[in-house]
Parts: sequence; C-alpha cells; structure tokens
Amino acid sequence: MLNRFCKRGGSFHGHYDKVSGALLTSLDMQAYVCANVFAQQRFGVHRMSPRLMGEGTMPHNSGLSRRDLLKWTGASGLAVLATACGAGGTTSGSGAGGAKALSVLVEAGGKAELTKIAEAFTAKTGAKVTFIELPYDGLFNRLSGELSSGTLSFDVAALDAIWLTAFAGAVRPLTELFTADVKADLFPALVTEAQVGGTFVGMPVWTNAEILFYRKDLFEDADEQAAFKKKYGHELVPPTTWEQFNDAAAFFTRGGKLYGTDVKGAVETEWLAHILQAGSPGVVLDASGQVIIDNEQHLKALTFYSDLNNKLKVSPPGAAQLDWAGAQNLFNQGKTAMMRFWAHAFPLIPKDSPVYGKVGAAPMIGGAAGVAGIPGPWYLSVPKATKQADLATEFVKFAYDNNAMAIESSLGLAARKSAFEQYADKPGYEHFKPLLETLNATATKPRPATAKWQQIVDTVLIPTLQQSLNPNADYTGLLAAAKDKVQSLAQ
Amino acid sequence: MTPRTSTRTLLWALLTSIVVLYAFPFAYLILTSLKLPTDAIAVPPTVLPKAWSLENYGTALATPGVIPSFINSTSTAVISTVLSVLLAVPAAYGITRYGTVSGRIFIMLALVTRMVPPVAIGVPLVTLMSTAGITDTPTALALAHTTISLPLSIWLMASFFEAVPPSLEEAAVVDGCTRLQALVRIVVPVVGGGIAVTAIFAFLASWNEFLFALLLTAVRAQTTPIVIANFQTQYGLQWGPMTALATLYSVPVVLFTLLLQRRIVAGMTLGAVKG
Repeated sequence: MLNRFCKRGGSFHGHYDKVSGALLTSLDMQAYVCANVFAQQRFGVHRMSPRLMGEGTMPHNSGLSRRDLLKWTGASGLAVLATACGAGGTTSGSGAGGAKALSVLVEAGGKAELTKIAEAFTAKTGAKVTFIELPYDGLFNRLSGELSSGTLSFDVAALDAIWLTAFAGAVRPLTELFTADVKADLFPALVTEAQVGGTFVGMPVWTNAEILFYRKDLFEDADEQAAFKKKYGHELVPPTTWEQFNDAAAFFTRGGKLYGTDVKGAVETEWLAHILQAGSPGVVLDASGQVIIDNEQHLKALTFYSDLNNKLKVSPPGAAQLDWAGAQNLFNQGKTAMMRFWAHAFPLIPKDSPVYGKVGAAPMIGGAAGVAGIPGPWYLSVPKATKQADLATEFVKFAYDNNAMAIESSLGLAARKSAFEQYADKPGYEHFKPLLETLNATATKPRPATAKWQQIVDTVLIPTLQQSLNPNADYTGLLAAAKDKVQSLAQ
Repeated sequence: MTPRTSTRTLLWALLTSIVVLYAFPFAYLILTSLKLPTDAIAVPPTVLPKAWSLENYGTALATPGVIPSFINSTSTAVISTVLSVLLAVPAAYGITRYGTVSGRIFIMLALVTRMVPPVAIGVPLVTLMSTAGITDTPTALALAHTTISLPLSIWLMASFFEAVPPSLEEAAVVDGCTRLQALVRIVVPVVGGGIAVTAIFAFLASWNEFLFALLLTAVRAQTTPIVIANFQTQYGLQWGPMTALATLYSVPVVLFTLLLQRRIVAGMTLGAVKG
C-alpha cells in the first residue's frame, strides 16, 4: 500500500521506503501518508528527496556548525532524560524507613484469595504485602521474562499448576513445609502436582474442580419425576453416572428452548475428567511420560463427550466454539438443565438470573472408575533470585496455616481439606461437599507434569476436540493423529 | 443514471461498507458497555442493549487501580511523546541538512528496534531499568515506549524537514539569523504541523502499548491497558466493565486525534511557501 502511494506521489525514494515500508505498522503508514501529503500540499515537493540521501544539503556556513547541532541535541536529550528520571521514583523492595515489604505476583482473578491472608500477615509481622496483579496470559510472560533474567519485581508468585514444571528450576524448594500433617490435609492430586522431580516447588493456596450444576426446580418437580420414570424406568435424580447423565440430558432437551447440557469444544478439561472417570492411568501422558492419548479410556471419554452433541443432540448449537464463559451464560440464562463447571461459580449466579436460587450442586459424574475431576490448583512459590527468601517462605507458610481465610473472598476457594470442611455445612457453601468428594476421589489426578502442556492443549487437544464435534467424526482416527502430534511435541 | 453517477454511487457504497466494517467493533464496544451486566454476556450476543445502563461504568470506575492507571497512562504517554519529539527534531534536522554518511547510517540503524519482536527488547529492558533503579515508574515505561516511537519520529521529522526548502533558512541567515535561530524561529514553526503529527503518533504508540507495560510495571506505574485486561480472569470474564473501561480509555485519544487533526489540516492549508 505504501509503495502504491509512493508511486502515485511520484518520487518516493526507493531504498529507504522499501526498508521502512516492510518494518512499519499500519499506524506508522498513516503517519507516512500524512508526511507525504504535508510535503505535497505545503511545498509542492515529495518527501524523502535525494537530499536525505546526502545530496543537495545546505551549505555549512551559516552559523550553526555540525558540532553546535550535536551539542544542542545532546543537551536537549540529557535535559529531557534528567527531567523524566526525576518524575519517576524509587522501586519497591523494602518499605519506607527499612520496614519489611513483600511483593506477590498473582493473576487478577486470584488476588482476592490472598488479600485477607496478606492483611493478617502484615498485622502479625509488620511486613507490607503488595500485589502485582496481571492478566493470565501476561502473568506467564512476566514470569518467563523475570525468572529467566533473574531480575525480579516480586518475592512470591502464585503459579498455575500447569506452569510448575516450566518454572521449577527457578524457584526454591519448599520441601521442609510439607510435613506429614500438611500432606494429610491436602488433596492427594495437589500433593502429587506440587512436586517436580521429587522436590516440592509450590504450596497449594487454592484449588477448584468441575462439579455438576443442575436445575433443582426441574429435577425436584413431581410431574417431571413421574414422566422421567415412565420413560426411562428409573428415578430422576442428579446423575452420578454417564448413563444417568445421558438420560437426564435427553429428557430435558426440549425443542431449542431448553437443552439437557452443554458441550464445550473450546476447552479441554471436561474431556480430560471423563478420561479419568473411564479409568485411564493418566491424561494424554502416563506417569512415565509415554503418550497414551489413543488408549481405550481416551476413546470412551471422547465418544461419550462428543456423542452428546453428535448423536444425542442434547447441547445447544455451536459446541465446537463454546468455552467456559459461554457455557456459564447459557446455564445462567436457563437454557441448559445441567452443566459440568468449576465449583467457584456456584455462589456467583447473578440475582437477576432466571435460575437464581434454583440450582443444586452434585459431585462430578462418574464412569467405570467412579467420580473423577481435573483439579485446578494454584501454588505459591518463592523464586530463587529473591532477596527476601526467608520472609517470602514465611508468607507461604502463613498462607497455608490461614488457608481458610481465602474462603471468605469473592472466589471462595481454599486448598486444605479442613478449610473446605469448616464451611461445608454453612448456607451458601452447598457446593463444597460435592467439591470435596470430587477432589478426594481416587480417580482424580493432576494433569501431566510437562513444560509442554499448554502447547499440547492449544495445538492438539482443543483442535482434536473441536474436530470430534462433527456427526461424521472418526474418533479413533482423531486420537491416532493426536498421538503423533503429541509425540512430536514431546520430542 | 450516467456511468459517472453509477461509478460514484458504487464508490460511496464501497466506502460506506469499509467505514461500517472498521467502525463496527468500536460501536459494538460502546453499545456493550451500555448493556446490563447480564445482557453483556448473553449467548447469543445482541448488538443493541435490551435496557440502557451505566452500571458497567460504575463498576469499572470503582475497581481499585483504575483511576491511578489513567494517571499513569497519561504521564507515561506525555513523557514518551516529549522525549520522542525533542530528540527526533534535532536528530532529523541534522540528518537532512548535513547529509553525512554517518547520518544516513544512523537513520537506518534507528529502525533496528522495529526489526526485532518487542518482547526481545522487553526482557533486557527489565534488567536495564532495574539496574537504573527506575523499575515500575512511568519514566521507565516512557523510556521503553520511546524505543518504539523515536525511530518513527525521526523518519517522520526527516521527511518534514526535507519538504522545507533550504532557501527559507538561507533567507533567514541573510536577514541576520544564526543557523540555530533559523531552525528555531523559521523551520520549526513551518513544520509545526509535522511536529503535531509526530507527537500524535508517539502519543498513540505509548497510550495503546501493552507488552512493555506488562513487563515493566507492577503496582505504581500500571497503565490502563493492563487494568482492562485484568477483567478477564481464569474464573470469568467481566465483559461489561471491561468494555466500559475500554470506552473510557478511548475517549481522550479520540479527542486528542480530532484536536490535532484540525491542527494538521490548518498546517497544510496555510502554506508558508508557494510551490
């Protein structure tokens, strides 16, 4: 486009413009267009004339020598820099007057989980805790940049479980914090996931898992119960098995006004949970790192999951593109009767939603191996490069000791079994017992400990899932192709 | 209908389609910000609000860190713009008027920062700013943004200086001006429109920048693009407040553009030299 403009302009200078045209963004191009228009309109000449290439410059005899210009330029630059630097301030690290201070890097959604804990920590130790709050994708970039350079802006980082392997080499071992009592009060999958190469590199601070949300007003309606029993021969109850789930989903699918459930093609964890329910020793990779994505359990889970959309047709259209937010909105608008979703969303149903006060929670459904879910924990880790390792480790221990405080936050999650149990019988926390049952289930396992996990998800799992949401999909073939891709990534 | 009229109609239809295509995302952003929070995330989405509401704006403005982030964005963009213009004007003048080999090499090398992915510069900048003790300040971020805007500013100003005939300065010198006086009193006012264009592009580059802000700020210097992104979390997307804040963040820059647009047009029509 720039070149075309130049030709029309008449004498745009070739070499510079080829270079700059290739490098500049559309914003830059607009600027160049303005520049050329300016030149043409004002002086009847075109910019970047040969003079810029060193021809036809002004005579150097008119008072301002090259040296003067350099002096003038340098002085201006230094003055501006000096002014600009003065506008800044000192970086954090320790508080004013040498008071203790700690910076905690956290994803925006998780900050609330740590706020009360941080306040209590400050009250106890006098150390001011400052949160560096970043969006999820940005947090990973920030961690990668700072941990690789060793120049840190934080002393403690809240890490997604799937990042632990990638950053294990840059964080301090926390093995001494994992006493027998600590391990006994954490869900087994979380204890497993906290270790990389046998070393504990993060302390769980909160966790989540998918459970079953269902419409109590529909499931407890006497007419619905009678009609269901007449049609299927068993009681209408919140489903605990795949078969019950299929029946209930089919029963509540009513001509586009209401669907039995959703099928999410844009996210993978629901399929992964079904793989564990089918009894697979792991998801995608086994404990030894072998690719098992084409095993029998993966195929059964994919068949169960995709057939909800392809054969039973109990999910709203557009399954391949549906993600968490979309599925949550559909349920909150009363368009689906059941939803497998992260437990934290249970108390977050809006008051103006047509289903507010009509939703029940049950453990995640089970397959041949029983109930299983994929835990979604976050861990607190202490970077090796921090200058406040002791204070940071003290904060991590304090966060574990006072883990129940996190439940009072807007997200309302914790990591310790005892913290969840403390609230499980209180009104408003009806989702905690299903969550506890799902997280304690023997088939519940963490995702594989591989630094390539996010890449596997983005380039293999989600595309495979989306391709499977087609009535003519060949599930076996898709998994075979997925195996090749995962193996090439793992190499 | 004559062929000329039909061509014109076709061109207008094409232009209107292009404008609608480009304007729709921004219009949708504004309309979404005026929906009720539940409507903003409805599936399937609607273009027009079922009920008009400013609730999202209230939520966005009540979010901790929003107001300071506006101040940070403004101060960062202003510092970066001033730095870019003040450094670009003499640099571009020297390059165009003296035409030395080193000047030509310099203007090419100035583009180096645009040849590499920003993240490749961002990580070393983190270390540099930390060493300089200015991490998490608008100054540090403005310096980083200047690495983006300065090359463009130099190229832009060089082209504007190119358009000024040397005879203008020579006349000023004959009338008793020194070279510096000729530059400051004659050339700079003549390229005022160009400086305005350069300033607006430097300001826009800083105002909208995300990656360096992500890498170089933590608490005190966090800019609004980061705060907007924070509305999307692992646990949900606050679409309503996010669009409301994005709309608010667009207002100053739209006004700024319109304001300087007039300045640019005025600069182009005044004409100090008749060509």
